[in-house]
Order: sequence, then C-alpha cells, then structure tokens
Amino acid sequence: MAESETSNIREPLPAPAKERRFSAQAIAELEEIASHYPERKAACLPALWIAQREYEGYLPPPAIQEVADRLGLSYAEVEGVATFYTMYNLRKRGRHHLEVCTCLTCAVKGAYEVVHRLEKELGIHVGQTTADGEFTLSEAECLDFCGAATVMQVGDKYFTQLTPENVKQVIDQLRNSADYTPTKLADSLVKLLIPGSSETGGGSFAPKDLVNPAGPML
Amino acid sequence: MPILNLLYENRDVQNIENLDVYEAHGGYQGLRRAVTLERQAVIDEIKTSGLRGRGGAGFPTWIKWNGLPKNFDKPHYIICNADEGEPGTYKDRELLLKLPHLLVEGMIVAGYACCGTAGYIYIRGEYVEPAWQIRKAIDQAYKQGYLGKNILGIEGFNFDLYVHMGAGSYECGEESALMSSLMGERGNPRLKFPHAPLPVIEGVWKSPTLVNNVETYCAATWIAKNSGAEYAKYGTERSKGSKIISVSGHVAKPANYEIELGTPLMELLKIAGGITGGKLKAVIPGGSSVQIRTAEQCEKINMDYESCSANGTLLGSGGFMAFNDKTDIVVLMRRTAEFYMHESCGKCTPCREGTRWIYKVLDRITSGAGRQGDIELLLDICSQIDGRSYCALGDAAAWPIVGAIKAFREEFEYWITHKRSPIGEDAVPPVPVVVNPLLTLTPA
Repeated sequence: MAESETSNIREPLPAPAKERRFSAQAIAELEEIASHYPERKAACLPALWIAQREYEGYLPPPAIQEVADRLGLSYAEVEGVATFYTMYNLRKRGRHHLEVCTCLTCAVKGAYEVVHRLEKELGIHVGQTTADGEFTLSEAECLDFCGAATVMQVGDKYFTQLTPENVKQVIDQLRNSADYTPTKLADSLVKLLIPGSSETGGGSFAPKDLVNPAGPML
Repeated sequence: MPILNLLYENRDVQNIENLDVYEAHGGYQGLRRAVTLERQAVIDEIKTSGLRGRGGAGFPTWIKWNGLPKNFDKPHYIICNADEGEPGTYKDRELLLKLPHLLVEGMIVAGYACCGTAGYIYIRGEYVEPAWQIRKAIDQAYKQGYLGKNILGIEGFNFDLYVHMGAGSYECGEESALMSSLMGERGNPRLKFPHAPLPVIEGVWKSPTLVNNVETYCAATWIAKNSGAEYAKYGTERSKGSKIISVSGHVAKPANYEIELGTPLMELLKIAGGITGGKLKAVIPGGSSVQIRTAEQCEKINMDYESCSANGTLLGSGGFMAFNDKTDIVVLMRRTAEFYMHESCGKCTPCREGTRWIYKVLDRITSGAGRQGDIELLLDICSQIDGRSYCALGDAAAWPIVGAIKAFREEFEYWITHKRSPIGEDAVPPVPVVVNPLLTLTPA
C-alpha cells in the first residue's frame, strides 16, 4: 500500500537479512580483541571496525546485525553505538573519502577555499559522492593538526598545508591509488588493536606512493 | 629560559621511536628507578613535583594516583586519554608519533605505583599514524620484558597494555564519556562525584580506574627518572614544570613548543615567529573551549594556570591560536558554536539544545539577519548552559561565546546594525556559502 508522503505512520522496518560476512581471520581477530577486556561488550567498537572492513567500507543493517549476534548484544544497542561515532559510515562512501577540516585554525587559514576548489574540481557539493563513485567530500570537525592547516584526512592518511592551488595534486594522485580507502582505514584500525601486528607489517603505515604537495607529511 | 625541553629532550633524535635508541638516551631509567622505590614513594614523588593534569582541567595528578585503593583486591585499570580533540591542540599527536616509549614508560610507572593490572591507551580514530607508533612501542616493550608478567624480573609485577581506537567523537575526550566508550557504549558522560563514586574507586567495569592525559604520563616518566624535586624547580609557585603549547593560526612558525610554565604569552608568540598578515588582534590561549583575549589583554597574561584564570581565560590543553586583524571574531565564534553543536553528545538538554540555539543565533547574525537584543539572547542562552550540563562540554560551548562578547562586543553590534562584517571584504574566516544546509553535515 502506498503511503501518503506526509504520513507519520509507516510499516515497521523488516528485520535485516541474516548475513555472515566475517571471514575466519576476522573472527579470530574479534576473539583476540575481545580477550583484552573483562566484558565482551567492550569489543563493540572494534567489532564495528571489522564489520566496516568486511562490508566494503560501510555498515548496512546486516553488518550491524552480525556484530550484535557475534557479541550477544541487541541490534538496537549496536546501532546506537554505530550512529554515535562519526567515523562509522552508515551509507556507502566513494572509493576515497575526502574529509577537509574546517574548524577554527583551518577556517582562518583558508579551509573553505580548499573545500570550494574541491567542489569545483569534482563537480559535487560537500556531502555528496561523484557519479563514478571515486570521491566523497565532507567537512570534518577538528582533525587536530592545526599547525599544518589546512588538513584533510583521506582514509588513514592526513594531507597537510593544503591550498586551493595544490589540492588538485592530491586528487590526481588519489585517482590512481588503491590505498587510502574506507576499507583500508578500517583494516588499519583493526590491526592496531592486535598485539604484535607492527612486526608483521600490518597496516599501510608508510606513505608509499603519495606525496604531500606542501612537503613531507608528518 | 622560556623554552624548556623536558619531555622534548630527545624529540629530534633520529629513530627515537625505536626502543634501542630510546634506551640509549636514558629510556626506561625512570621505570627502573621507580621500581626500586615503594609504591607510595612514587606517588610522593609526583606530589613533590606539583604535576597537574595536562589534559585541560589542571587537576593535581598525585591526588588521582593516591586515590586508588592500595591493594590488589580488584583489577585496577590505568587509562591514557589520547582522544585529543580540542581545536587548536596537537601536542599529543606529536608525543604519540615521536616519543611513544615516553608514554608507554609513564603508564607502566603508573601501573606500578597504583597497583595497576591492565592499561588501555584510548586513541582517537583519526590518529592512525600516531597509533602505529604506539602499537610498535608496545610490541617492542613486551619483547624486552617491560610489559607482561614479572616485569624487570620482579615477582608479581604484571601489567598488560592495550590499544583502543576511538571512532570520531570529541565528547570521548571527557573522562567519564571515555570510560563509556571503552566499555563499548555510546560516548555519553556519566554522573559525577558526589552523585556517583569517583573513577579512582569505581571507574570502568566497576573497578578503580586512573585516567590521565598523554602529556601527564610523559611528565610522570620524566619525574620518575629525575625526581619530583627536580621537576618542581621549574615553573611558578602553583604551576610547576613545563607545558607543551600547540601554536597555530596566523603565526610564522606554528609548531609545538615546550615552555616553562609562567612564560609571558607575548614571549611565546615571539618564539613562534610573530603574527603574519597583519597585527595581533586576539589570542585563544588554551584551545577552543577557553575565552578569547584581545591583544591588549594578552600583554598581561603569563602561560600558567593562575595567570590565565586571573585574566579571564584558561590555560586549558594548551591549544594556542593567534589571530591577526583580518579575523572576524563573530564568524569565528559561529564556527566555534558549530563545532560544539556537532560534538554535543545529546545526553543532557542544556547542552544538546543550547549549543544548537547558540549556533542558530550566531548564524542569523552572520547571515545579515541579526536582530537587536541578539547579544543579550546569546548571553542568556550561555548562562543557562554554563554549570548546568552533565559534563564540561556544555561549559566549554558557553565560555568562548561569553568571552568573545565581553572582549569584542562592538563587533557583534556592528554585524547586527550593519548586516556585514566590520573587517570588510577580506575578512577571515569567510562566511561559508551554504548550498544546502542538509548537505553540509557529514552524511551518516
């Protein structure tokens, strides 16, 4: 039955389809992380990171359901956590999520000009994704590297001292890069919690192929 | 000397983030010295040093350390607050990135002194690169026997250290919200003393919990190594030692500077290369939560806890932002209000609603639709948030607005009367062009 657009009454949402996407490795990681805390519930944030990696960089309802089931929590509880933190994506992002800091220092140092240049360059507004699914553009609250304003986070990397002139250089490099994606970011955040992961070379720590236009990245 | 590199002593040593280089430069000597002392003697060293919490509130560190029960009846948790989020502050970032072992050592010292059983370093989710250095440091420390069972061969001295990554929330830098987040919940603050037990009695998982800032643990390492009396030689009478100040804004050399507490503000500004693009107009000395001061008021301020509060502002977390005379204070405050609106966790009404109203009124003024009486309205809203919220985020949202109105009232009046910026065309930050207000927020 079609609903009137102004109606506040809607059918109850169907329960999310049961889906299991955690790989054997992901389950092992989850169990390792859960063993760090006296309560299993504390692994909720890490488990959501694992889910964000396994579900292609965002958390559709089945991902939240899977986390809830694996931790013995309710769907509502996990969804409550997932919606609280800004780094959990509830909708799909572009292959590179550009988050430009426009907080105090960055704002006075020209962050809005950088944002507007990016909007022009990509043909989208803040909050949108390009048609080819390459880039999502967002404003971010303070990324806390104010000395290097303007700062932009892409995946697990910060780009610093950006200006309207040099920001295109970053975009061009990102187009050809398989790294700095939401999935890679989630992977880093999971690996960081696993003891010994620094020895096995976990995470894409060293900047391999990207240069910061304004000089070395700190 | 205004510059006082205590924590930063070895910052620029090549590969200091590696354990062998760190040890070659006196690393883990603090821990080795601490374990030769009684647990209480370590806490007394911290007391002698006069160290105060470096996260913003400036609470005496030793009182927290001394507050934990001195027994092993329950597990004791040692938590490091590395959820740095205050606009203007990036000192913890550099400490994590360049001196990770300084933090790890400080936490082990705290673990020893406070009968700790496990430690967690809560790092904000955006700090992936700094967190990798911490991960590496912890892994190396385990290998070398500084972490794990029977540390340094001492029977029964067991301490485990874990990394916990946040997921993007300013609120989680608040002690009780951080504990909620660590336990896998939304980052909401909890009831505080005297309505609830102190964290040192009942914190995470109903166990005694010590929460300190990154810089505080790093300073504890220095004190463990060089003694509290040595640390107390620096600073002023009530603000001892050094403080790392993150300088940003319109300055020639923005960076982290470790200064002796009590250094005059203007001298710090000179060290940072002075103002660029015009004359000095205003300074926010301690992060976005504290009151902005005019250039004239800055002359009198020394960078220590007492002098800052005597001059109507706070040292806070040391996020020092300087602005030149092209800066539009009203638009700047609009951006500040937007930050607190976005970061309010939504638990309590004064903060959740109040931060929105502050933003709306400031947005109205800067979009040229300000009304007579808006200044009084802002002050009224702020007075209803300040001191009435669950945690300090509400206060932190109100203080900068009240401070800016007190210091730059004529600029607010100019905006309301003339519907444009008192600075003119090239004012910074520009009033953002909002295409679709629904799109400016990050899509969830």
